[in-house]
Amino acid sequence: MFGSNILEVAIGIIFVYILVSTICTAVREGIESRFKTRAAYLEQGIRQLLHDLDGNGLAAALYQHPLINGLFNGNYTPGKQTTDPDLLSKGGDLPSYIPAKNFAMALMDIAANGAPTNAGNSSAGAAVINLATIRNNVAAMDNLPVQRILLTAIDNAQGDLNKAQKNIEDWFNSGMDRVSGWYKRSTQWIIFWIALAVTVLLNVNTISIVKYLSQNDTARKLVVERASVISKDTTYRNKDYKTAKAELDGLKLPIGWDNGFESVEINPSAQASVWNTFLGPLLGLLLTAFAATLGAPFWFDLLNKVMVIRSTVKPHEKSGEEASRDPQKPQPQVVYINPTPQPTAGVITPGTNTTEPDGCEAVPTQLTNDEDLPASKGGMD
Amino acid sequence: MAFSLTWLSDVLINAGLKVAESPGWETRGHGDMGTVKGVLCHHTATPGKNSGNMPTLNTLIKGRPDLQGPLSQLGLGRDGTYYVVAAGRCYHAGEGSWEGITSGNSSFIGIEAENTGGRDDSPWPAVQMEAYHRGVAAILKHIGKGVEFCAGHKEYALPKGRKNDPNFDMDEFRVAVGKILDGTAANPVLIPVETPATGNKPARATLRRGLANDPALVKIVQTKLGLTADGDFGPKTEASVRAFQIKHGAVGDGIVGPKTWAMIDP
Repeated sequence: MFGSNILEVAIGIIFVYILVSTICTAVREGIESRFKTRAAYLEQGIRQLLHDLDGNGLAAALYQHPLINGLFNGNYTPGKQTTDPDLLSKGGDLPSYIPAKNFAMALMDIAANGAPTNAGNSSAGAAVINLATIRNNVAAMDNLPVQRILLTAIDNAQGDLNKAQKNIEDWFNSGMDRVSGWYKRSTQWIIFWIALAVTVLLNVNTISIVKYLSQNDTARKLVVERASVISKDTTYRNKDYKTAKAELDGLKLPIGWDNGFESVEINPSAQASVWNTFLGPLLGLLLTAFAATLGAPFWFDLLNKVMVIRSTVKPHEKSGEEASRDPQKPQPQVVYINPTPQPTAGVITPGTNTTEPDGCEAVPTQLTNDEDLPASKGGMD
Repeated sequence: MAFSLTWLSDVLINAGLKVAESPGWETRGHGDMGTVKGVLCHHTATPGKNSGNMPTLNTLIKGRPDLQGPLSQLGLGRDGTYYVVAAGRCYHAGEGSWEGITSGNSSFIGIEAENTGGRDDSPWPAVQMEAYHRGVAAILKHIGKGVEFCAGHKEYALPKGRKNDPNFDMDEFRVAVGKILDGTAANPVLIPVETPATGNKPARATLRRGLANDPALVKIVQTKLGLTADGDFGPKTEASVRAFQIKHGAVGDGIVGPKTWAMIDP
């Protein structure tokens, strides 16, 4: 079953990538909720958009405007960064998202009535917001680039206030696309480092897993079965850390550090060599880390595609299995004194459980040291 | 009062196998077994490939919090030594059926072989697998049953798939056991009692815990292993020899025979 086996190994490894990616995303979200980097990027983006790099002029006025101020707790204090923010800048209480409509309305209000909220611009005497007032008062903003943007927006609207607002929103959105780009790039970097850490901590080695899955039919079947269940479950895309970790542990793959440093080896039974203990593990772990950087949705889509291919390649289970045996490999021949032993098929009558306890595979509470073993005899000439 | 399987130890020793009796095994068991009809093969699935020769022994003897021991009559260490745990009935089989036998605990002798059951411990050590074949063959021969009365726990256990031990192919296992039963297999390789003299060393006796060892030879070994050289080959010396053997890729049986002498004091 050449084609099918390779596909199944691929399914298995993709499934592992999905789980590792999910874990990484969860860790990333944990870090994000701690640092609120998105908010810092948004603030930086707005400062650049409004040509107020110090955050004392128009950007401060905007954040203090009630339309924006209502989106976050506390007061606006400009972030320390005056250039592009760091990977893990802290956003504090600032909002992670500002609706384009709020931004446009706040900016138009500031243009018409000035920045600070006072009795003059918060009562009936305030300037009426229409294109003419904005056009007349815009010089008071003391911010030439933004003044020009506003004038362009107003003039392009040809007398329609809503059109002008729309123009400002478009301008804001294009600026936000840039912020999203920044944020995405920084997230990708962070996710890569997280993925590297998670991969090393869990010792998820792509090469080992591929090798294990290609050699171990039972394990491969189990993983593929689980993957086919998951691939149909669309809610699985948003699983949390615990579920993903439990799922990964449940697959019983050669991951983790159960055997100490030996776990790193590609082939634990072979002698240590440059490939076995250093290059192989390094390559395998890096592969997993890069794969996890691509994110769970990517691997999910790929899993679904491979599943479709497999269902077209997969042999019919009922009749195909017997014929698909490799005729080259001699099957073990046992001569049984009539007939072949068979586990008696049938239903066990309930209630017999108590008389037949099964202590096999009991997890030892305390291991027996070699020193505590009884002395042996026999086996000598 | 001793239970009826007191022949276990002698049968295995006569098959050329290493056997270690846990103290009190003759009287241990959940009552006496019924008629012995076969052998059920298990692996322990105790994690940690390097946790020792038979780390599950105490659990086999005493059981676990929810199920009292003994949990099997025999344990098979990684070095191929059989640890005799009980001469009575043991809780190892559970629900299942094989060759029409459904009362597994009363009908099958259970052998729990030390193996993690995972990829890290596969393939099994050759010496352990060889001892597994020979031990099962010896028991089947003693009770006068054919090879079909040797089953894997995974084959016996019901509902299907309840158990996955042992993690090797039982058909191949039965072929190997069958060859020993019908005499077509090679004789077991025994450890010589003496290492012949070499160019610069005189002939040296094989050292083993429990034998009347020559203290002078034991001291050589203890000095080489960095132990207190008291000339007494006790459990600590044995454990150190095991560790030394495993470190050098040999069978960790704690017996200083020709191969170990060549490594420890060439």
